[in-house]
Amino acid sequence: MVKEQNIIELHNITVSFDGETVLDDLDLSIKDGEFVTFLGASGCGKTTTLRVIAGFISPDHGDVFFDGARINDLPPHKRQVNTIFQRYALFPHLNVFDNVAFGLKVAGMKKDQIKEKVEEMLELVNMRAFAQRKIHNLSGGQQQRVAIARALVNNPRVLLLDEPLAALDYKLRKDMQNELKRIQRQTGITFIFVTHDQEEALSMSDTVVVMNEGKIQQIGSPTKIYNEPENAFVADFIGESNIIDGVMLDDFKVRLDGRAFKCLDKGFAVNEPVDVVIRPEDVDIVSPEKGELTGEVSSITFKGDYYEMIVDVCGFKWMVQATDEQLVGAKVGLVIEPDAIHIMKKSKYSGMFGDYSTFSTEMDEMEEEARLEEERLEEEAAQEEKGDE
Amino acid sequence: MNNRKGTFSRGLLNAPYVIWSLVFILIPLVFVVYYSFFDLESGRFTLEYVKIFFTKPMYVKAFGISLLYSLIATAISLVIAYPFAYFLSRKKPASQSVQMILIMLPMWMNMLVRTYSWTTILEGNGLINNLLELVGIGPVTMLGTGGAVVLGMVYNYLPYMILPIYTGMSKIGQPLLEAAEDLGCNGFQKLKRVIMPLSLSGVISGIIMVFVPSISTFYISQKMSNGKVVLIGDLIEQQIKEFWAAGGLNRGAAMSFVLMLIILLCTFVMNRFTDDDEGGMII
Repeated sequence: MVKEQNIIELHNITVSFDGETVLDDLDLSIKDGEFVTFLGASGCGKTTTLRVIAGFISPDHGDVFFDGARINDLPPHKRQVNTIFQRYALFPHLNVFDNVAFGLKVAGMKKDQIKEKVEEMLELVNMRAFAQRKIHNLSGGQQQRVAIARALVNNPRVLLLDEPLAALDYKLRKDMQNELKRIQRQTGITFIFVTHDQEEALSMSDTVVVMNEGKIQQIGSPTKIYNEPENAFVADFIGESNIIDGVMLDDFKVRLDGRAFKCLDKGFAVNEPVDVVIRPEDVDIVSPEKGELTGEVSSITFKGDYYEMIVDVCGFKWMVQATDEQLVGAKVGLVIEPDAIHIMKKSKYSGMFGDYSTFSTEMDEMEEEARLEEERLEEEAAQEEKGDE
Repeated sequence: MNNRKGTFSRGLLNAPYVIWSLVFILIPLVFVVYYSFFDLESGRFTLEYVKIFFTKPMYVKAFGISLLYSLIATAISLVIAYPFAYFLSRKKPASQSVQMILIMLPMWMNMLVRTYSWTTILEGNGLINNLLELVGIGPVTMLGTGGAVVLGMVYNYLPYMILPIYTGMSKIGQPLLEAAEDLGCNGFQKLKRVIMPLSLSGVISGIIMVFVPSISTFYISQKMSNGKVVLIGDLIEQQIKEFWAAGGLNRGAAMSFVLMLIILLCTFVMNRFTDDDEGGMII
């Protein structure tokens, strides 16, 4: 279904708000019929990119192309794209039918034709029985469906979806993911989907665009993004990763923790320092004497279908997922197969991620803050003592 | 048990408002109705006073002029307020509040003072005529015309038009307007299909809040026309003030009562235009 020609191209797009750069010289092309996801934390520029495509933001620099034609100066209402907004933005003064019919009425379509198309679209999203309902009498999931119908009824070439599932509960979100995927296949319309949920991105998309700090970190298929992350940021953001400093000894040979491992990567300079990614589920736990590396289990958590443990190897905390339970404090051996190792070039994100002494950077920061606060209190106490003398 | 206690304490909380409404609204209203139909001297029921309103030319004319001027003033206020409220609601929050204060500022001053100061601007040797003479245009009579009365109404009541419309407009979120654009609306269609329907209840409130005080005013007409334009409010004031004992109180009450019914009817009709569940009802 994905065609060869690009439907949207962004060239050197730069956007800044109040002197703060939100998109930094961004280049991106999207193929006709593709399901593309912009993935990143809040503030990474993913929604801004979407709004540039929709026409609500005009970039400071750079060009937007649609079907080969430059559309920088085309206002939103003339673009062949439709948007599903974060909070749906349904019209409160209109019922379900009139919300869906809105775009067609504006376009001046005949009444009976509108009726036919709207009913067909409500059928597609299973909302036909609710046509006469007021918007504020609908549940979140139902509003979501109306929003989808309202956008799709206009037959857009591209549908933009701005975190459309964020407001729904877990199960409904899963259902809507399947539903959106089905609708995309059925209609063949290009979907550009924005989310901060990596699982959502991996399970729905043909192509994932990982963004951070207004730049694209990696573009690729979900499996490629997961198996061959380009830098430490992507490796950490998508799934769990142990990221260890290594040195490339030769093609297919890397040294980490003082020991040489076979790997499947090549093309690096001899003795080039690299980041080594090893996924927690790819590490095998064996007895200490059989292990390539040995360490001590410092915590273990039951996760249902596996145990997640933190293993301390010479001070570096690895995350390992295994089906066998280990005792805290037990010595274990770790075995890593060549295909479990992925080598990345050093980047500005090197050293920032991939150590499991704490799970989140926020936790790190909190601990650091607590330490500083303690020091400050101690200092104050010491000075008070001095004052008393 | 709990429930009963709840209603009791709620009743207690409501008491001041109930007493207030009783003493200052309901009881005076009863008096107005009473004096409309019962002669002050004899205490007998009569329709004579209510009938005056519809039969005596002076009253019919005064009512006609009141209706005409207040409608014109309401229309002018709406034309000024609507675009103003729209642009205001689309500005940054900080400048919105500054402009809101600028609109409210004159209202902190006494209305009599404000109206009186207009007379010094409009009068024969007032500010405007002095300026006109400088460019060689002779003194123009402004004070004492119907136009001056309408100006006084618009000037005094414009904020009451702006406020409810602005409140309604600022509730229309940016995403809704973007959704409209996204679905193919140009500027005019956006106005027609989204902004106007969603600000309608504010407009209705504004119309009522300008129309009602305009039609019943007496001070504005006295000052701005030097007594040449007689509105129904002037007649009511005159009857009660000057002919209290000679049936004036009865005539004043009857006119107030009939005017009140007409205003009620107008607001009732206006409210038919808004959605019942929008909460924009005045009555």
